[in-house]
Amino acid sequence: MNRFWTWRWPIALAVLAALLLGASGCASGPVRATSWTGLTVVGDVLYAADLTQIQALNAADADSLWAFPEDPEEDGRGTFYVTPAVDEDHVIAASQMPPAGFLGQPRNVVWALDRDTGSLLWHFDDAASQYVEGGAIGGGVFVIGNSDGNVYALDVESGDLKWTFETGHRVWATPLIVSDTVYVGSMDRHLYALDLADGWVRWDFHTQGAFASTPALRNGTLYVGAFDNRLYAIDAETGTEVWRFESGNWFWGGPAVYDDIVYAADVEGNVYALDADTGEEIWHRGLDTPVRAGLTLSEDGSRLFVSGQGGALYALETARRGADSWRPVESEGQALSTPAVNESIVYEALIYGQHRILALYVENGGEVWAYPNVVEE
Amino acid sequence: MFDFLAYPMANLILLLYNLLGQSTIAAISALTLLINLLILPLTLSQQRSARKMQEFQPELEKLQKKYANNKEKLAQEQMKLYQEAGINPLGGCLPLLIQLPIWFALIGAIRYCIPTTPLEVFQFSQHIYKWLPGVVGIVPLQSTFLGMDLGQPPNPTQWWSYSLPILVLVTSWLQQKLLTPPTVADDQSQAAAMNRQMQIMMPLMMMFFTLQYSTGLSIYFIVSSLIRIGQYFFVQRGRDDEQSGSKRQAQPKKRKQ
Repeated sequence: MNRFWTWRWPIALAVLAALLLGASGCASGPVRATSWTGLTVVGDVLYAADLTQIQALNAADADSLWAFPEDPEEDGRGTFYVTPAVDEDHVIAASQMPPAGFLGQPRNVVWALDRDTGSLLWHFDDAASQYVEGGAIGGGVFVIGNSDGNVYALDVESGDLKWTFETGHRVWATPLIVSDTVYVGSMDRHLYALDLADGWVRWDFHTQGAFASTPALRNGTLYVGAFDNRLYAIDAETGTEVWRFESGNWFWGGPAVYDDIVYAADVEGNVYALDADTGEEIWHRGLDTPVRAGLTLSEDGSRLFVSGQGGALYALETARRGADSWRPVESEGQALSTPAVNESIVYEALIYGQHRILALYVENGGEVWAYPNVVEE
Repeated sequence: MFDFLAYPMANLILLLYNLLGQSTIAAISALTLLINLLILPLTLSQQRSARKMQEFQPELEKLQKKYANNKEKLAQEQMKLYQEAGINPLGGCLPLLIQLPIWFALIGAIRYCIPTTPLEVFQFSQHIYKWLPGVVGIVPLQSTFLGMDLGQPPNPTQWWSYSLPILVLVTSWLQQKLLTPPTVADDQSQAAAMNRQMQIMMPLMMMFFTLQYSTGLSIYFIVSSLIRIGQYFFVQRGRDDEQSGSKRQAQPKKRKQ
């Protein structure tokens, strides 16, 4: 055997391994910064987790009102992909900052910003792992789950840690705060009802599948889907099951409720309308795309917006058994985030596409604006 | 890139997890055993090839001296010798090359079963074999073992998780040490040099992987090395029995003569 290869082939093998790792998409190491971005619209402002910034955009024309950080090149705060939580004074989101050095660990940070100016109020970086969906604000407390398995409750004014609650697996679902109770699902297959003041468990509901979505509430009943292909209706006071509905695949995106009907989609793209009291199917429609995103209803409940993984935004007419209200709007990239709606505009977030946010008229699907507005040369 | 292997492997982990009392460690260990059984002919051929290369080293050295100024002729004669002895010069590295895609697919499979980011698990939701028994609701698998997160790489907050890459280093070094033929300390031959390189490079490379990727991968490497070590002792014992058996058979013949 050639002397060159005798000495070098183990090294060549190592280099080959490294190259293959890169090609296989593993080279990003322990952390993949890309996830779906989150949108929140409050009044005439759209708050978006937009890669390296939190953006406050004029909801009507996408004019930037403020951005945090202003200059991510100079003042990097990592990658934002958690749906911003907004109250009267705060916008709270989370990012993951890249590791420093070969054996360094990424920092996972919650950032609280002034809602009017975007200036930093406080930050919290005690969590050991990634924030995935988002947090909720209620009763002066910000509550968010983390992939380290904990639920963190922070004082919304100071960022001080009020309590933590440890679950048995990752917490990817955005909590729901109602009055003095936090409802949060965990990948440990439990839905927990926690006391907002101290994190004490009021009840927990155990199933065969992980919970990764936010429950919807109507008349004292929670509606939440799980990875055991079931959508559950649960008494919010006692945690007892009211009914369950079984589909062919996971329920991940959160359901939507209007009047007496609960709408939910499984990850195969089957959209269901169910009787909220009994769980009986009213209609169902299969879309030709997987669906990760939660469902959003127009303000009058007449249209149900569904983002398909392939980038299409569907507007289904709730009164016509899910028939298209207008032709699905196809976009480049993937749509995995729950659409946001205000009075007349529906907003869709995209990843891997030319545009990251698309604003369409609720009425006819016509484009209002696209962000960023890329001008082709 | 290796999803065509990672999806079936991830589904196999789900099945094994369900069959083995919902233990992630047991599922990964069983998968490792199955993979090692699958590549057993290759690993045995690697051992045989390495041993033969060592046996024919003096003849190779002679050829090198003889044809020191004629590289073409040297290559021809070497090939002739390999063919006559039934040695595949690439027999040593083939199992390693075949294992590389398995490692990468396994990294992917562990990420799908114990996801750290939502995109991975959403992608996998479309590729779970629903006909497998007991897979409904099984993802994500239980991710903790001795307080370590099997889906995450070792990290300072779980400092004891660094014990796994160290175990990977030790077991793979021991495996390399046992499975490569012994060489004389001052042996400057090519095969000896290659063996020395391998004994250092492979364990280091494996440790590097396990520092960067999920600790579940460490389980694969450790179990894999232990299986190879066991295989070595099993083969060695068989060889010893064979040798002592032939000696016993040879002795009565001597008496007759």
